[in-house]
Amino acid sequence: MKNKYSFIALIIFLFVGPFLFPNATITEMLIFGIVAISTNIMLGYTGMLSFGQALFFGTSAYISGLMLLSGFPLFLAIPVATLGSFIISLFIGYFCVKREGLYFICLTFAFNQMFYFIAYVWTEVTGGEDGLVGVERPAYIDTQLTFYIFTAIMFLFAVIALYKIVTSPLGLIFKLIRENASRAEAIGYNVRFYKLISFSIASTFTGLAGSLYVLIHSMVPIDQIHWLKSGDIIFMTLFGGVGSFLGPLIGVVGYIWLSDTFSIIWARWPLIMGVIFAIVVLYFRGGVSELLENLFKKYKSISRKTEHEQNIKNTKLN
Amino acid sequence: MKTAFNAVFEFLKIFMTFLIISQILNGLGLGMLYALVGVGLTLILGVLNIPNFAHGVLYALGAYLAFTIANLTDSFYFAMFLSPLLVVLVGFLLESQGVRRLYHAHHDYQLLFLFACALIIQEVIIIIWGPIGFSLLPPPSLSGAVDLGFLIYPKYRLVLICFAFFMIICLYLFLTKTNLGAILRAGIENRDMVKVLGINVNVVFLYTFGLGAYLAGLAGALSAPIMGLTPSMGLDILPICFVVVVVAGLGSIPGAIIAGILIGLSQGAATIWFPEATNVVIYVMMGLTIIFRPQGLFGVR
Repeated sequence: MKNKYSFIALIIFLFVGPFLFPNATITEMLIFGIVAISTNIMLGYTGMLSFGQALFFGTSAYISGLMLLSGFPLFLAIPVATLGSFIISLFIGYFCVKREGLYFICLTFAFNQMFYFIAYVWTEVTGGEDGLVGVERPAYIDTQLTFYIFTAIMFLFAVIALYKIVTSPLGLIFKLIRENASRAEAIGYNVRFYKLISFSIASTFTGLAGSLYVLIHSMVPIDQIHWLKSGDIIFMTLFGGVGSFLGPLIGVVGYIWLSDTFSIIWARWPLIMGVIFAIVVLYFRGGVSELLENLFKKYKSISRKTEHEQNIKNTKLN
Repeated sequence: MKTAFNAVFEFLKIFMTFLIISQILNGLGLGMLYALVGVGLTLILGVLNIPNFAHGVLYALGAYLAFTIANLTDSFYFAMFLSPLLVVLVGFLLESQGVRRLYHAHHDYQLLFLFACALIIQEVIIIIWGPIGFSLLPPPSLSGAVDLGFLIYPKYRLVLICFAFFMIICLYLFLTKTNLGAILRAGIENRDMVKVLGINVNVVFLYTFGLGAYLAGLAGALSAPIMGLTPSMGLDILPICFVVVVVAGLGSIPGAIIAGILIGLSQGAATIWFPEATNVVIYVMMGLTIIFRPQGLFGVR
């Protein structure tokens, strides 16, 4: 029931969004929405913190950018880039899921930086420090609005696919691994295999988002593959709240809105983001969605209480 | 004709030997720095169980503070002494004000708190010192070159290698011969047992974080005359520290020292043959380690 309401709210958001924010901003929000919701499959549902999501985002952006530059159509570039990040995620995930906890974080982090340096050094292909420039949007999504609609359709598709995964038995296995990995092993699930699947799902959808990202500013800046971006992705997910399916989207909207606002005011805006980040981690670990939920619950319990008191009064009167 | 060819060949051979030896020495110096930072990260990782994402910016802070102190007091040695201690104060602040409040939460949140602190300190460095890099010159007594007989080599780099080696020996003696060192090592092995034995873990955590910060700050200050100061130096060194930890095996201090030196040496060697791949070679080493020895060189877990 609750999910039905959130989905209705999501659809309303997709229609109202372009009126609230500039078109490029709302498109970016949807793209990072895919990233955060899929990262949440790994972070919130399976309980694996990967510090290397920018690797898939950036690599896929490079692949789709390069394909568009060499004249391939968009409908080929996006699937190929997504498939590319799927294959890379299988390869890297195979090594990373062997280890857990801190070692997993260190490994994903180091792999992220490895790909960054490859992109940095391989100037002929990736453009090195200047980034990959001159990628042009196809004619049918040339205007900001049509591109927004295109992104919104992709976003809905991704969200529905991810929702199906979460509510399927596979999603339950992910939750089981988060709650008690040794129990899962004892029941007979191959924990490493399911962790790899979770890692791959998150990375593939992150890749899908990356392949769309090229089209916003017609370029791939190299900092999209830097490890700081991975930190941003984790922060967005956490800022919204890992407890619910659509929670991370709230985090993305908040994060991008805040960073857009502050970056106009002050060149050193990451400082403000860092402070907000620290405050969130210290005092609001549940993120925005949990904060809202608590407020909602409080309101509900107050109204229920008054109702209850009314009932008592009524019975007494009778 | 033949003798001329031979002479050129001989010259090339000697030149190559010099090049290789000097690059190996360069790599050794770099490796010593990596070992110092890597050991700091390993200590914090081992005892507190968190990857210190603020380690890189503490390194940068050490370098920048050394630069300012050296300019203000005109004393290079005093700067090398004071700046790591100031970094320790920052480390104490991070641990006591932030990380300690999060011990009851999942360690992911400590990591994210330190990541936020890294962002903040990084921006503070740019606000105070500006986005342009600086260079810190070694004092007259350490500048110039030394004739080693077969090779002429910058004096500062040699002193750096010897000093870093001395620091590593001191650290080793501290960890193996003193009570506090024994407690730290016990904390890496089994944190709960240390708690059960009646040792105040909060104090141990504070000192560990301080020691880690000291090593980062010291390495930063020492690196300043060689590599210069850039605002991104902290962000660049952090992944290298993590590779050192992965290659060493989680929580192994001798492993971190050896892995740091190995990575420095391989970077030095890469400078001779593939100058553009010096940064990638670090990750190649990491890749080889996780394929052939997934638990790291000295890892047991």
